[in-house]
Amino acid sequence: MIFLWLATLLPVLYWDAGPETAAVLQKAGITHIAVPPALESQWKRLKGVSTSVVDIKGLTEAPVPSIQRNLNEASATRRPWIDSNGWRFLREPKARFYTKAPGAAAALAAAEAFVFGVESFVQTDEAGLEPLRRMIEFLRQIEDLKLPERANIGFIDDGSEESGEIMNLMIRKNLLFRIVAAPDSSLDLNVRPGSKEYPVAGGFDPEATAQKIRSELTDARRFLRIYGSEVVIARIAGNQKQVRVYLLNYGGSSRSVSDVRLRVLGRYPRHRITMFGTPQVEPLDYVADTQSTELTIPKLTAFTVVDLLAGP
Amino acid sequence: MAAAPLLVSTEPKLPQYQVVTPYKPADPRGVPGRYEGQVVRVHADKSIVEETEKVDPQVVRRMVSEGMKSLTGEADERDVWARFFSPKDVVGIKVNCSGAPNIMSCPELVADIVTNLVAIGLPPRQIYIYEKFQNQMNSVKYESYVPAGVNVWAAESQRGSVAGYDPGVHVEANFFGEEDTRSSLVRLVSEKLTKIINVPNMKEHQAAGVTGCLKNIAYGHFSNVDRSHRSAKTNTYSFIGTLAAVEPIPSKTVLHIMDGLRGVWHAGPFSTDKKFRFFPKKMMFGTDPVAMDRLLIDIIEEKRRQENAPSIFDRSKERLITRRSQDANVNQFIREPGHIEYAAGLGLGVYDIKQIRIRSIEL
Repeated sequence: MIFLWLATLLPVLYWDAGPETAAVLQKAGITHIAVPPALESQWKRLKGVSTSVVDIKGLTEAPVPSIQRNLNEASATRRPWIDSNGWRFLREPKARFYTKAPGAAAALAAAEAFVFGVESFVQTDEAGLEPLRRMIEFLRQIEDLKLPERANIGFIDDGSEESGEIMNLMIRKNLLFRIVAAPDSSLDLNVRPGSKEYPVAGGFDPEATAQKIRSELTDARRFLRIYGSEVVIARIAGNQKQVRVYLLNYGGSSRSVSDVRLRVLGRYPRHRITMFGTPQVEPLDYVADTQSTELTIPKLTAFTVVDLLAGP
Repeated sequence: MAAAPLLVSTEPKLPQYQVVTPYKPADPRGVPGRYEGQVVRVHADKSIVEETEKVDPQVVRRMVSEGMKSLTGEADERDVWARFFSPKDVVGIKVNCSGAPNIMSCPELVADIVTNLVAIGLPPRQIYIYEKFQNQMNSVKYESYVPAGVNVWAAESQRGSVAGYDPGVHVEANFFGEEDTRSSLVRLVSEKLTKIINVPNMKEHQAAGVTGCLKNIAYGHFSNVDRSHRSAKTNTYSFIGTLAAVEPIPSKTVLHIMDGLRGVWHAGPFSTDKKFRFFPKKMMFGTDPVAMDRLLIDIIEEKRRQENAPSIFDRSKERLITRRSQDANVNQFIREPGHIEYAAGLGLGVYDIKQIRIRSIEL
């Protein structure tokens, strides 16, 4: 079964203020918004900003994507907690989502929904308008290559809270999975929560379960590894001829990650990097051998698309 | 990627290390070097004023001169340094600034090393004073002590940046399920330097037991190393030696000068609390980092005995705490001074104190 990448849906700004705020939108370059039904007629009369109508009561709320640094906890890892909606989006790919994301987080929220291919409405404040507009423009320019999603773990989601926690950790650890109805022998590993191998009853430890999944898959078989940051979540699509890697930097709404090193399974000697907010990016230490392709991307902003190509 | 992985660890409880490096050992290697199992100790009571911590550069100069002459057996200072370096070399001085600005490879010593290198014909531009972290280097200001042209370089201008490291030379190990399992070598070492002078301090280390020569060329040369001490039982025992043995480090590191004008006897490697600082007023010279670190154990242990603090070999659980403390009787980690003997097993030097030839000089 091949899943085609669904990243053709562009997020939309949800705006619940009246037309008297049009100048604020126009100053940020916003030309399209989604408004609640009660405001539809007022906004329709206004030129310069097109509108669609959405009732957020019918939407699924997704928390603002972010990281939380637990500075009060002694730890040598400095690994922050990532609040990602990836698992929600994978669980409900046909749902329509709504995120209230202030400031620059609005841009990350838009990119996150785009990467996971869900329909999304982002509400933000005045500070978030311009970053959100720039991100939507950036997303619009990304060519849809219609590549199949790459994942080598099949996850049988029973809809339970425990399954959600496992999926959340797999997303955060870049253990690439797709939801399957039954074990898929074409995949390297199948995970059924509640089975003998992956129990969820009594003393359930999602972290230990995710580590077990990683251990059983082995790092060597992972399609993608990220070195140098623990706040970057990746999704990958492609085949032997071409691979596209989406990199979401969850710290990116507040600061860029200095640089990250990617390791992608397969030989891809050619590349193209498109980074939000950065006109041109050249990778460092690019190596494509028979097993894998590695490159370092300097100064990762909130969202980056890496296209890797096989052939000469 | 550039070389076939070498599996180092064979002991069942040790992590599995995958070492990747394209570099082969030089013949001869710098470590343990031509003075294997030999250490010269120089003590000078007037090297530093304890109250003000002011260092006397003239005394430092004499300490270096006498120590190096004794190590090499040469009478002329230029002959001493020419034993290790030629004007064609690109020499890195690996300083330690983790406790800066309170304790670090003191700039007066580093300046004297530079003077000696320049005296044998090395252009200043072929000399690099380097560390991992820019902010720590900045607090010392080495550039104001050395001639113009000498490079002062840090691998991480911004904390966490990987661009200053060579991805082609790395050690991979999964200690606790961390996502980033790689530690890569400082790029300067693999790509530019032909010789390295290691200038560590004399310090206790809360996880490693002591931090001297080995740790400064191991953790001081690789990215992403603090992951080894995430919990009370750390991986410092095997990780330090494993990193120190990665080529080209042992081939290029030809000289170790341990700066013990100041020292730290507890809560190291940092030195935020002056009460844990002390003044051995010593330097050690050698090419064998294991032998020198073996002697460092005795220095730290003696000071801790004087302070009624437990031995660094103490592994009792009742002394473990989860937060930093000002109490010298407790610690966050089980210290692993055995890392030095482990490194000896990797061929990095002599650990047996009976086989170490020590020459002591009093100024």
